[in-house]
Parts: sequence; structure tokens; C-alpha cells
Amino acid sequence: MSKAVGSDLNKADILFVGAGPASLAGAIKLQQLLKESGRSESVVVVEKGNKVGNHTLSGAIFDAEVLDELLPDWKQDEHPFIKKMLENEVQKDSVKYLTHHFAVSVPNFILPSDMKNEGLYTVSISELTAMLAEKATQLGVEIYTGFAARDIVEENGFVKGVKLGDKGLNQEGEKQSNYVAGEEIKANVTVFGNGCLDPVLDRLTDKFEMTKDKNPQIYSVGVKEIIKLPEENNFGSNRVIHTMGFPNRRLTPDVFGGGTIYSMGGNYVAVALIMGLDWRYCDLNPQQELQVYKSHKYVSKLIEGGEVVAYGAKTIPEGGYYSMPELVTNGAVIIGDAAGLVNIRKMKGLQYAVKSGIVAAEAIFASIQKGDYSKESLSAYKTALDDSFVGKDMRGARNYRQVFEKAKRVGVYLGAPLTKIQRLLPFRLKTHPDYKSMKKSKLKRDYSEGVDRLTDVSYSGTFHREEQPSHITFVNTDDCRECEAKYGLNPCVCFCPGEVYKVEEGKMMLSPSNCLHCKTCRVKCPYENIVWEVPEGADGPKYKVM
Amino acid sequence: MNYIVLIKQVPDIRHIPKEAWDWEKGTLKRGLLDNVCNELDKQAMAMALSMRKDRDGKIIALTMGPPFATEILRYAMSIGIDEGVLITDRKFAGADTTATAYPLAQAIRKIQKEIFAGSDDFVVLAGMQSVDGDTAQVPPQLAEELGIANISYVTTVTFEKDNMLAERITRRGAETVSPTKMPCLLTVTEWAETPFPSFARTRWAEKETTREWSVEDIEADTTRVGLGGSRTNVVKIFSPKESSNRVCIFEHDLNKVVQGLKETYNKKLNEISSEAVTSDYKLPEGKQSDYKGDVCVYVEQDDGEIHPATYELLGKAAELAATLGEKVGAVLVGSNVKGLSDALISYGADKVFVIDNPLLAHFLPTSYTKAISRMVEQHEPQIMLFSATPQGRELAPRIAYKTNSGLTADCTQLDIVDFTRGKKEATAILKQTRPALGGNIMASIVSQNSKVQMTTARPGVFAAIEPDSTRKGEVIDVVVEITEDDLGAKIVTSELLPSTSELSDATIIVGGGKGLRTKEGFDKYIHPLVEGFEQYFGEQAMAGASRMAVESGFIERTHQVGQTGQTVKPTIYVAVGISGAIQHVTGMQSSDIIIAINRDPDAAIFKVADFGIVGDLEEVVPGLIKALKTSEVQQNV
Repeated sequence: MSKAVGSDLNKADILFVGAGPASLAGAIKLQQLLKESGRSESVVVVEKGNKVGNHTLSGAIFDAEVLDELLPDWKQDEHPFIKKMLENEVQKDSVKYLTHHFAVSVPNFILPSDMKNEGLYTVSISELTAMLAEKATQLGVEIYTGFAARDIVEENGFVKGVKLGDKGLNQEGEKQSNYVAGEEIKANVTVFGNGCLDPVLDRLTDKFEMTKDKNPQIYSVGVKEIIKLPEENNFGSNRVIHTMGFPNRRLTPDVFGGGTIYSMGGNYVAVALIMGLDWRYCDLNPQQELQVYKSHKYVSKLIEGGEVVAYGAKTIPEGGYYSMPELVTNGAVIIGDAAGLVNIRKMKGLQYAVKSGIVAAEAIFASIQKGDYSKESLSAYKTALDDSFVGKDMRGARNYRQVFEKAKRVGVYLGAPLTKIQRLLPFRLKTHPDYKSMKKSKLKRDYSEGVDRLTDVSYSGTFHREEQPSHITFVNTDDCRECEAKYGLNPCVCFCPGEVYKVEEGKMMLSPSNCLHCKTCRVKCPYENIVWEVPEGADGPKYKVM
Repeated sequence: MNYIVLIKQVPDIRHIPKEAWDWEKGTLKRGLLDNVCNELDKQAMAMALSMRKDRDGKIIALTMGPPFATEILRYAMSIGIDEGVLITDRKFAGADTTATAYPLAQAIRKIQKEIFAGSDDFVVLAGMQSVDGDTAQVPPQLAEELGIANISYVTTVTFEKDNMLAERITRRGAETVSPTKMPCLLTVTEWAETPFPSFARTRWAEKETTREWSVEDIEADTTRVGLGGSRTNVVKIFSPKESSNRVCIFEHDLNKVVQGLKETYNKKLNEISSEAVTSDYKLPEGKQSDYKGDVCVYVEQDDGEIHPATYELLGKAAELAATLGEKVGAVLVGSNVKGLSDALISYGADKVFVIDNPLLAHFLPTSYTKAISRMVEQHEPQIMLFSATPQGRELAPRIAYKTNSGLTADCTQLDIVDFTRGKKEATAILKQTRPALGGNIMASIVSQNSKVQMTTARPGVFAAIEPDSTRKGEVIDVVVEITEDDLGAKIVTSELLPSTSELSDATIIVGGGKGLRTKEGFDKYIHPLVEGFEQYFGEQAMAGASRMAVESGFIERTHQVGQTGQTVKPTIYVAVGISGAIQHVTGMQSSDIIIAINRDPDAAIFKVADFGIVGDLEEVVPGLIKALKTSEVQQNV
């Protein structure tokens, strides 16, 4: 028999779910507070990725000021990540409007000051989280990767932790010789920092009615490639470009969003395209749209001679203030992307995530001191967040995205002035779930240029053990046939950035192994027919520089 | 019974990020690869865990590496291992297999003394090989150092009363072997699902301390560790592209594939196959070669049937011997085998060293090691070649260890060179080149501080010479005393599968892999494709399979191509749904034309293919069959 290993190993005092920037910042802060006061409560982080950073993806332009609260002397830190970040301070920042053939500069003076990026840093969020994890571990935070939370544990109206997914089931769901049952990890407070669209979050918000009377959350999907440019290149360093217009087909844009090109140091650039999931085209393929984007004369010139080395995709919650769930319940708080903390006007979420983790940690620390983990006690988090720059910014942009939804037909350029007055609107503009926006209209784009989707998928490093039950299933396949009849194709075959869906001989075939965990399918299937569950821990993409 | 499992931290070559390639140098930036526990070592741990269900005891994981290698010890503990031991010391740096086996053996002695309270009732388990070094040499050499039996390629272990029965794969079937003494060493081939860590054990392992032992702690002789204690030295790392002239042509249009295939096929037929091999090496004037003596080849035989790879090695040995002005020796071991001498002479041997003994009737590593080592001591060859067959790779490491010789595994190129590095100067030595890191890089290696330069060479790479029955040679009897005690283990049962000569006779082989998913898939796609090729080319075609396909029961083991199966050299090899693991590639890469069908454009198989078709085989295979048929009709019109 294996050496017995005590039962309290499945108990933590505070449990963070998901090792993203929000959780790691929270865990660091909490551990610092506990240490300072001579306490020894355990702070545990569980992460479904194989390593910290493997499942995080972002632009990312980072307003590093927020690190002051976490790592006071960070600028003097010798950590390679910090050194690299400091080298990648944004010095050239521009916004371009792309027509089909040209790029027009959008003059700086008409841009609101909070859309300017000079003095901020371009970072890889995979590398940022890896650094934070190192710092957290040094402080005594316990981080366990490769463990996927599959459900919440509830006792007497309190969240009491999470239940992990089983490992070692075969495709039929039978136990293999290496079967390990999903364990429960109990905690006094469970902090949900598990990002955008995790089904576990739905289980929490449904059970505790945390989305009642809220706007439905709406999303964008961002697809991103890291490109290695030759030594001599046209892009240079310390530069960020945001673009509007192309690959939209018309002057009146039909898809909300835009493109970004950031220098990442060492001749690497990150090229990304962000598309609001309320697009109406049933044949839109985000990964291929990125290729179309890269083929634009202006963009292709900038990345000339480059070679794609990494790829990934992620959804972004952009419903804003009115779409945020209740952030607190008995024994649980929600932080970061999971809380919908993205300011789509600034196109930023990273510093909000970090800040929310810090504020949550402070509230949890107060609750630990009181020994009271009720909703009332933990609500200090919500109040403090509201009072911080996060609350201010979120409220300031509260109707921003909705204006675009309303103005879609007339276009972003009418929408843009409207955004100036959106904050004055005394009422709440509604959002509609993304799946409802799918129409029969087609882009009919020639998707034959650039990197094909499967090749890009291989650059994501994604991998799932083939023998496990598919983590993606259909509620019923009749709907797929109906869907195909209605649209002339199955939109999932197009909208999935990972090429999970494929129709062969009239039959829908799934390749769950390709999945990038972006979960676009959870919200974009017009029949709401796709069920995405968390697969076995450690599976999924292996982002390193995303 | 207690258990020690040898584990190794290796770069994760299954997931090589694209930016990890240094295209200019053609090598890998190892820093960008994750460090993971070697996959086959996980299998060894799984086997130990399963054996413990029958014979309770402690399981210790042992590894050598830098301090951060404790990571894999914690992983080991998270899946059920009780304790982890890391031997770590700057002095270990640069060790080859000899200088790795020795300190590991010292650590095992210390574990036996301190953790097992001196009991010798324990088993050492190891994965068959590591994905990075891929030599499979450390376990047998460690067994040699400890003077214990090693049983390789083990798939299952059962217990019957006091006997441990290990089932192992042999080239032509399977055998059940029982060690006659404890401790013993087992190397494990893939056999079960990899165990998963539980959260509780992971957390426990994180808090538990592991033992870290230095060179002093294990009381190791410092001259026998690290680079200084090594008998081989890597002199060059380069890209496989430099050494291979295969460039995979990717083609979607299956008609074009068939057309291209036909053209290449016809071209190959017309090529003059028997090019005379010459070497332009000349001994520098006024210099003496560093090594003296014959160029010897170990003769691998089963029941009097000589393995074809032996003839290939004799061909290469003849070339090397001519370059050096020396003779070719063949080392023939067995019972009543003298009669094979003529064949060996006809294939190029000048001398046949015969060690004939009834106790050597069946191959067992310990007795064969004793016999051949004695021959080496008596006759002092300068080079000794073994085939990189399962048997060769099990045997050569022990002999090299016992005779203080350097050994390089699985070479694909052998040259005589002069070599200078710093003050060191070497004349007329053997440069041994081999693929490493799963075929992702090539390494050239030379022996140092060695009695004999030993090599296992990949079958199918070198060419045998045309046999000449009029050749003359000398037959020399070598007398070695072998006792029952030297056997180390006894063969309980041996199951010889039906002769497999057919597969190696086929002109065309269609190999199916795990990508076919099920036996039904294998039957549905592979057999019709075999027929398609047979009809189109009018030559014999047969079905082959990867080890995973065989393990999954798609087809019998006699069809297995690869390291533990057969090495084949057909004119056309079609790899369907085969990822291209080195173990498979070893067995088919010498095929004249290779076509690969795989859905993963990055699959390793494309690196050795001439034609590549990326796509789902459910689509491609029927398409290819159709294209073969259409093209056949057109041909006949």
C-alpha cells in the first residue's frame, strides 16, 4: 500500500480556482496579509492548465502601476519577466483606420486620453502569470496545476469548495485502470478566478442566483498569433498599433472589434483580431479572418518576412457593468474575467483583474479575522471594488458596448459619438445573448490565404488525452441537422477557432482534442446546442508566450 | 518485496513549441521545452504499483539530475510512490551512460542498506529508454555494475509461489523469464495507462521532503563520474536535415501523389543498387592509429538463423577494416552454432570467433556478457559492432561496461576520422553518428578512455556485401567457462510466433497506426489499401503496423514494424495514421519511398517521408485507393 497521506490534505482555508492574474494577485496579497499578522491559514490555488500560464491569453498592454500594491519594489526586481517588461515600454502608440487598401491615421487628439498607451508595457500574460506564480510560491501560497474544478461544493447555503473532475475514464465513460475519482477540495472561502465562460461559474451563479436581473453577458473572441520577424524588420520595437475597419467589408462595420499589433521584444510581434460575438455571419471563421487581416497591404508590410510561432484564442466578457454577476455570496467571491471585469472602451481587463484579486484578498482577510465567511462579511470586497478605479471605470463605460449593438446597422462611426453620451444615459441599455444574433447572411470570404486553421491549432500546443469522454457534446444532434438546413451550413464548423467541429458525409464529427478552451461555442451556437465541460486536468493549450 | 524505480527528467519532445527550433543551427533550444518525467518511466512506476498489489513493500523513485529534478520525484510521489531520492552533484555533469549507471548503482546500494535494512529482496525497474538520450543503456549497465540479472522489454509481471514471472517481448514473439536471484532489474515497455496524480497526494508530495545525495553521500569514486568518468564524448550536434536527403512533398491532389509515386518508383528500379562503398580516409603520415586490432561484429542468431542485420554490419565492418588495414571478425555465440561460420565468411568475415556452449543455447544477458567479454579481453578488437536490435541493445551495454569500453547507441553513420579538440588529438578513431531527442537532432560521438570502440548500429542502414562462398576465413574457438550460476534468469516459456519472413519480403508495406482508432478502422482502411497498391504495382504488398496498433489488437504482432518488431526495407512504405515515434521510424526509415498520411501536419513521420498527405485518413485512404484504380485504368488504356 502507498504511504497513507492524511485526510486534511483536501482542506484549504482559502481556495482560489484558476491561476490567472486575478487569482495569483489575490493569493499573493492574502498571503502577505496573513504573514504580516502572524497567521498561518492555507492559501491554495488550483489550475486546470498543465502549468501556470498555459491557459492564459491576452493582448496584452499592462498598466503595471497596479503591481505597486503587490510587489512594492518591482521595478528593481531582477526577475527576467520584469526586466523584459521594462524593456517593452510602449513608446510609439497609434490608431489606424484601415480601408480595403489603405491605412489612415486616427489623429491622437481626437482619442480619449484613457485610450492612450504610452508608458504602459506590452507583456505576455502567460509569462506574467508564471512570474506571479513564482512570487506566490515563494511567499508560501500552494499552487497545484493540472487539476480541473468541475463543480462547486455547497453546504447549508454556503459555498464550501469545489469538486474536481474525474481522471482516467475512457470514451464510453468507463473507469480505466488508472482511474482517479474527482476529489472535493473544501475551503472556508472559494475565490472564483476561473475566467470567461467556465461552466463551473454558471453552476455557482445559478445556484446562488447571482445573475438575477442582470443584463446577459456578451462576449468577443480574440484570436492571436505570435510572429517572429526577421532581425531587420518593418515593425521595430516598443510599438503598439490598434486598427479599426478592415477586415470589415463595408464602411459601415458589420463586426464589432478591431485589430492589434504589439511588439513583444526580441523581434516577436503579437497580431490579434478581436471580434464581437454578436456577428451575424454564419460562415465567419475567426482564425481565417485573422489571416485576411494579415493580408492587408498595411499589415502585411509591417510583418513582412515573419513566421507564425504560436497561436491561441480566448473569449472576452464585454457586456460591462450591467452584465456583471453579483460578486459575492456565502463563502465565495468572483474576481477578474469571471466577474466580467473588462472595460471594452479601454480594451483592458488585466489591471482590473489584478486589482479585483487584491481587493478581494483584503476583504477575505477581514473575514478570516472575524471568522465570518457570510455574504455580508465578504461584501466588503464589492464595496471596495466599487470605490476603486475599477468600479469607476466600469460605471463610466456602463452603456458603451450596448450603444454599438444598437447602432450596428448604422455603424461604429455613428456609434462612436454616441459613446460620448452613453455615460450620461440615466438608464440601462439591454444586451442580448450572442447566439441570438446569428443570421443566414454570409461573408463568402475567400479563406485560402495565410496559415490554415489546423496548422495554427498545432502552434497552440493544445493536447487532450484522446481516450477520455469528449468534453464537448451536443444536447441533440437533430438540432444540428435543422441548423444546417436553416443556414446552409453548421456555423460551429466556421466559428470555432480550434476546428473542433467538422461535417463529414452529412454527419457532425467532433475533434475535442483540438479545443483551445475559448468556449466560443458555449455562446455562439444559434441553437444553444453545445455543451462544453472542463476536460481532464492538464489537458488543453500550452501557451507559453501568449 | 521492495521496489526501486529509476526515473528521468527529460525535455517534453511530444510538445515542441515552434519557437524552440533554432533553424539556423538546426537544433533545439532546450530551455524552451518543458521538463517532464520520461513517459516510459511512468510505465515503470505503474508496473511497480501494480506489482505491489501482489507483494507489498516500499517503492522508491530514484533519479540523477540537477536540483530541480526533485520536481519529478514529487510527481512520482503524487501517483503513489513512497519516497524520492535524487542524486545531485556538480561532479555528475556531462556523464555518459557509464558514468550515470555507476553512481545510480551506488545509490541503490545505499538505499538497500539504509532504507531496505539490507534486504536484497527488491526489484529495480526502469523505462525501456528515455526520449532524450534514447540509448536504453543505463539499465543494463547498472545491472552489470550491481552484478544482477536484467530482463528487458517486460510487458507483464506475475507471481507464482516464490517465483516472479516476467513476460517480455522478443524479436520473434514473447518469452516468460524468471530471475533466479534477487535483486534483479526489469526494463519496462509501454504496458498500461499512465497513472494520474490525485490532489491529496500531490499536496502531500509537495510538503514531504525528498532525499538529496551528493557524490560523497553515495561514496562514489569521483574518477568514475561526470565527463571524466565517461567513455564517450559528444563532439558535434547538428540538424538531421544535413544528413537526410528526404524532403517531404506535401500534396493534396491524390492523383498527383500516385503519379509522382509511379515516377519515383520507376526511377528507383533503374538505379544501380550495388554502389561500391569506399572511404577516402588516409592515415596521416608519421602518425599511428590510436586503436589496434580487428573490427568485430556480434552475430545475432535465433536457433541457427542469422539476423539479416548481422550481414549488414559485416558489410560495414569490411569497409572500416579496409580503411584501417585490419581484419573483420565475427563473434558467434550459442550452442552448436559453428556451422554458421561459412555463411559469415561468405559475407565478409576474415575470422569467426566461436563460443559454443550448451548453456548458451538461449540468449540471456548475463551469460552472454560473460562469454563475449572474455573473448574481447583475449583478442582485443579495436571496434565492435552490434545491431541496434532489442537483443543488441540489451547485450552491448553490459559488455561495454564490463570491458571498460565506450558505447554509442543506435548509430546511423560510422566513419574513421582524425580528431583534435584542444590538446587532445586522436588518430583513426571511429566517429559514431546517431539521431537523438526523438530524431530531432543528430549527434556525433567518439569513444574516450576506452578499450574498444563499441557501437550498436541501426538495422537497415548499412548494406551487406554480395556473399561469396569461395571466400576463405579462419574459425577460432574461444573457450569460456559458463556455469548455471552465470545465467541469472531462466526462460520458463518461449513462444515463437510464425515466421515473419513474409513481411520483410514484401515490396510494398502499408503500415497502420493508432490513428485508425479501432480494429474495424484498421480492417476497413489498411487491407483495401494493400490490395490497391498490389494491383497497381503488380508487386507483393502487405500490412504492417505500429506497436500501438498491435497493442490495441488491430493486427497480430508478426506485422509489427519498429524497434521491438521488425525492421523492413520495402520499395514503398505507406504510413497511415502513424505519428512517427522513433521506435517505429527505426524499423522503416530505410524504405526506398515513404508516403505518410496523417492529420497532424507536424507529425514526426513527415520528417522521414517523401510524400506527405495531411488530412483525415477516413477521407484520404478511400481517395488514394480510387486514385490508384483510376490511374491503373488509364495505364492500361
